[in-house]
Amino acid sequence: MNRYIAIGAVAVLLLTSCGVVRGNEEEATGGPVTAGVTREPCPKAVDQAKGCIYLGTVSDLTAGPFAAQAVPITKAQSVFWARVNQAGGVGGKYEVDVDTYVRDNKYNPETHRQVYNEIKDKVLGLAQTLGSPTTAAILDDLKANSIVAAPASWTSAWEFEDVILESGAPYCIEAMNAVDYAVETYQPKAIMAVYYPGDYGADAAAGAKIAAEKNGVAFKAVETPSGATAQGGAITAITKEKPDVVIVTTGPADLAAIVGQSAAAGFKGRFIGTGPTWNVALAQSPAGPALTALYEQSAPGKPWGSDTPGHKAMRDALGAVTPNDGYTSGWAWSYPMKAALEKMVAGGDISRAGLLAAVKSLTTVDYEGMLPPEAGNYSGDPNSAVFRQTLINKVDQAAPTGVTTSKDFYTGPTAQAYTLDGPCFTKL
Amino acid sequence: MIETLVRGLGNGSVYALLALGFVIIYKATRVISFAQPAFMIAGAVAVSYLAELTGFYLAVLCAALLVAGIALVIERIAIRPMVGRPVFVIAIISLGIDVVVRVVANGFIGTDVRQVGDPWGFSLVTVAGVAVQQRWIAMFLTAAVLVGLLFLFFRHTRYGLAMRAAAYDQETALAQGVSVGMVFALSWGLAGGLAAIAGTFVGTGQGVDQLTWIIALKALPAIIVGGLDSLGGAVLGGLAIGVVESLAQSYQGEVAPWLGQNFAVVTPYAVMLVVLLVRPYGLFGTPEVERV
Repeated sequence: MNRYIAIGAVAVLLLTSCGVVRGNEEEATGGPVTAGVTREPCPKAVDQAKGCIYLGTVSDLTAGPFAAQAVPITKAQSVFWARVNQAGGVGGKYEVDVDTYVRDNKYNPETHRQVYNEIKDKVLGLAQTLGSPTTAAILDDLKANSIVAAPASWTSAWEFEDVILESGAPYCIEAMNAVDYAVETYQPKAIMAVYYPGDYGADAAAGAKIAAEKNGVAFKAVETPSGATAQGGAITAITKEKPDVVIVTTGPADLAAIVGQSAAAGFKGRFIGTGPTWNVALAQSPAGPALTALYEQSAPGKPWGSDTPGHKAMRDALGAVTPNDGYTSGWAWSYPMKAALEKMVAGGDISRAGLLAAVKSLTTVDYEGMLPPEAGNYSGDPNSAVFRQTLINKVDQAAPTGVTTSKDFYTGPTAQAYTLDGPCFTKL
Repeated sequence: MIETLVRGLGNGSVYALLALGFVIIYKATRVISFAQPAFMIAGAVAVSYLAELTGFYLAVLCAALLVAGIALVIERIAIRPMVGRPVFVIAIISLGIDVVVRVVANGFIGTDVRQVGDPWGFSLVTVAGVAVQQRWIAMFLTAAVLVGLLFLFFRHTRYGLAMRAAAYDQETALAQGVSVGMVFALSWGLAGGLAAIAGTFVGTGQGVDQLTWIIALKALPAIIVGGLDSLGGAVLGGLAIGVVESLAQSYQGEVAPWLGQNFAVVTPYAVMLVVLLVRPYGLFGTPEVERV
C-alpha cells in the first residue's frame, strides 16, 4: 500500500513539475505579463504582492551638454514613482520601477539609439528620453513598437507624434507669449531673437518671429553658437541694432555673457529668456545686477518654490537637495505617464498598445496644481491639443531658484489665434 | 574696432595658454594630449571653490599647482607605462583621461553655473578712448607674463635645458644623464598648470558650467597654425585665432553676409586650412615633424 502511495506522490510531483497539473492561471506569480511588465514585484517593491511595470530612462547623465539638467530630472522621476508606489501603486495592482533601466546617451543620437535598443524589450515605455535630435534617432522605432515615451524637451515637433507624451507648452508657443507680453508691457518697436541653432533655439525664434509679425513689430533673428567666447557676434548685434526687446534661447552661462556684456556696453533694452536660460547661480554672478534689471524668464511651468500641492509633494519627497528646476520639470512630466498607466490598468489591456490607447484617450491630467489639467490633453489633433499657456518669472534673489512668478499662466493673442499645422522651427 | 581687437587678444590669450600645453607635451613626448580641456575645466572648478576661502589670486595659484599635481599623477599612472607604444595609442588614452577628469569635474560643478570670484566681472576700462572689458586686458597681460616666464625657464634652468634636450633627441639626452621620465612628468605638469589658468580666465564674467570645456578645442587650430613643435608659434597661433574669430564675430555679418550667420565659429578652422595649404608644418613648425 505504501508503495502505491509513494508511486502516486512521485507521479503527482512529476506531472506538476511538467506543468500538466496546474493551479488557476490567474494565481500564478511568475513570468512577464507583457514586455516591461512582470507579475514579480519590483526590485525595490513596497508591496511584494504587486507586479512591476518597468519604465526606461535614456538621458544625458555624464559627459553631454545637458547633464546639469538631466541628473535632477532623473532623480525627480525616481522619487516621483517611489511616492506613487508608497501610495498604493498603479490601479492597486502594479508598482512602477524607473531605476533599473536608466541609460546614459551622452547626448549622442547614435549612443541614444544603442542604449535604447539594449533596454527596449525590457520596458513598457520610457519615463524619459532626453533631447530632440537624440529622440528623433529612436522615433521610428518608438512608433513601430507603440512605445510611449516622455520627452525631456519642449519642441513643437512632439505635438505631431502620438507616442510622445509631452507636458507644457512648446518653445514656439512660449516665445509667442513672451513677445505678446513684451508688446503689452514695454511697447517695443524692434524685437531680436538670439538663439542656438537646432530645434530648441529655432523653435523659440520661430515663435518670436510669428508673434512679432502679428504685432507689427520689426524682427531680426540672430543665431549664436554655444560657448562663452563665442557670444561676441550676438553682443555686437544687440549693441549695434539696439532692439527694445531680445528673446534669448541659449544656456545659462551664455545668457550671462550676452546680458552682462550688452549691459556693460550701455544696452538698456529688455531680455526675455526661455525656461532653460536661467540658473539660480546667475543672480550672484557678475551679470546678476544686469539680469535683475533687464531680464525676465518665460517658462512652461511654475518654479521650484511655488505654492501648489505638486510642488510641495516634490520638495518633501526630494528632501535636502539644492533647489533646481530640473527637479520640477522631471516631477511634472511624470503626471501624464501616471495617468496613462492608471487608465491602462483600469482598462485591462496591459500592453504597449493598451498604454498608447490610454494616452490617446487622455483629455486632462491632474498635475496637482503644477500645470493646469488641460495641459494633459493628448486626445485631439495637434492644433486643438497643444497647450498654449506659459508664464513669466522675474529674478528674485530670495527665491530658492532665483525666480518667482510675476505673471501666472496666460495665453497671448498670437498663440490663441495660431494654427499649429507643423513644427514651428521649419518656419523660421 | 579696438574693442573687437582687445576682445580677440583676451580670448586669444586663453587659446595661447592652452596651445602652449599641447606643444610642451608634444615636444617632450611626441604625443598630442587631448586631456587639456579636462585640465582647463578642473582648474576653473578648483578656483571657484578655493576663491571663497583664499581670495581670487591665491586661488588661481593653488588651483594651477593642484591641477599640475593631478596631471603629474595621471602621467605617472596612465601615460608612463605606455612609453615606447605607438603614439596613436597614447593619444587615445589621453582622450579617455579627458572624459574621466571632466566627469569628476562636472560632479563638482553640479547643476549650477559656478563663479570663479574674479575681481573684474564685466567692468570696463578706457583704452585709447574706447571702453573695453578689464578682464580681456587681464587675460592678455597674464598670458604675456606666463609666456615670458616659460621662455626664461626653458632657456636658463637645468630642467628647462633637460626638456629642450629631450625634445631634440630623447636617446641622446638619456645617454647624457637626462631623466626623460622626469621630462615627461614635467611637461604634463606644466600643461596642466597652464590649462588651469586658462580655464580660470574662461570663467571670468559669465562663470563655468558643464559646457565650458568645449572652448579648449580652439587651441587645436592654434597649434596647427603656429606649428606643432613651436612654443612661440603656439602663442602667436592662439592670439591670431582669437583676433580672427573676434573680427569675424563683429564684422562678417556686414562684410560677407553670404557666408551665413556664425561663420565666426569655423574661422579658426578656416585659418588652419589656409595655413596648411601654404605651410603644411605651420607658420613656425619644423618641416620634419611627424604628425599624429
